Amino acid sequence: MARQSQSTAADAATLIGPGINVRGRVSGEEDLHIEGRLEGSIELTETVYVATGGVVVATVQARDVVISGVVVGNVTADDSVTLNAGGKLMGDITAPRIIVSDGASFSGNVAMGGEPPPPRKQRRQAARRAPAKAPEKGTKPAAAAKKAPAKTVSKKAAAKKAPSNKTTASKKAPTRVAAIPTPRGARRDDDDTVVVKHAEVESGKSARGVAKKSSKKAAKKSPPRARVPKPGKRRVGRR
Amino acid sequence: MANTVIGSTIVIDGEITGDEDLVVQGTVKGRVGLRQNIYVEESGVVEANVETATITILGTVTGDVVATERAELKSNCRVVGDIHAPRVLIADGASFKGNVDMDG
Repeated sequence: MARQSQSTAADAATLIGPGINVRGRVSGEEDLHIEGRLEGSIELTETVYVATGGVVVATVQARDVVISGVVVGNVTADDSVTLNAGGKLMGDITAPRIIVSDGASFSGNVAMGGEPPPPRKQRRQAARRAPAKAPEKGTKPAAAAKKAPAKTVSKKAAAKKAPSNKTTASKKAPTRVAAIPTPRGARRDDDDTVVVKHAEVESGKSARGVAKKSSKKAAKKSPPRARVPKPGKRRVGRR
Repeated sequence: MANTVIGSTIVIDGEITGDEDLVVQGTVKGRVGLRQNIYVEESGVVEANVETATITILGTVTGDVVATERAELKSNCRVVGDIHAPRVLIADGASFKGNVDMDG
């Protein structure tokens, strides 16, 4: 009898058979196959196999955990956690490597905080550094050699075009901008930039009167200016 | 052979119940309740009250043993506790301390 048991023991390290219930703490330094039911906690330095039909309601800590049965509880592995098809895990996983195959069911959090993060950071850093340096090196000689004149020309052209755009923008923009500040309270800077009419009025009358009148005139005479009528309407409303 | 085996480096602190043969090479503490056979190997240590059909001890058992059929103490085993079984076999060289009750 003992011989038979020894031979089986040699074949399959530690095995908790399908007819066995274990309740408590299990710890050790060898593979553990669970085909039965285990409640409590497992601490191993080797691999825990939860076979099909095996039920583990426990906190599991091991180097590797391979789940083909049912596990309820948090699983922590130093190396990997494998969820095979048909395997069921309800609990959190903490392991650097996690393999979940098709047909497995899992609900819980995953933390792969072990080794992977540093390589990711390194990759990110490398990715940041590499493109940052590479284009500089690539563009500088290219610009110096061939693309430089073309770019300068294009820049000049752009400069020619840009100012024209800016001037047009500046012509259009100030009128709009000036239309707003003038009602607020007659700043001379704004008035200077505005239309000539302000200057004419300014020479004759006080700043406040100028501002009010100018705003009225602006509101009446310039319907296309969308922003002007609003303050004008407000004042009309106040009056 | 789907024997349940507790390996030599395994420590179970708690309760083992079931309907299956159990081979103990490691350490079991707490309580063991089986309706089949228990083998405690040379390296096996059981610090528990054991209820089973038959128990064969080559290692160390500390605790009361209740066997419905047979309790066998092989040579070089160490048993401390009471044995309650209709058939008790104690081999030459076995170490045993406790009471034996064979009334069934």
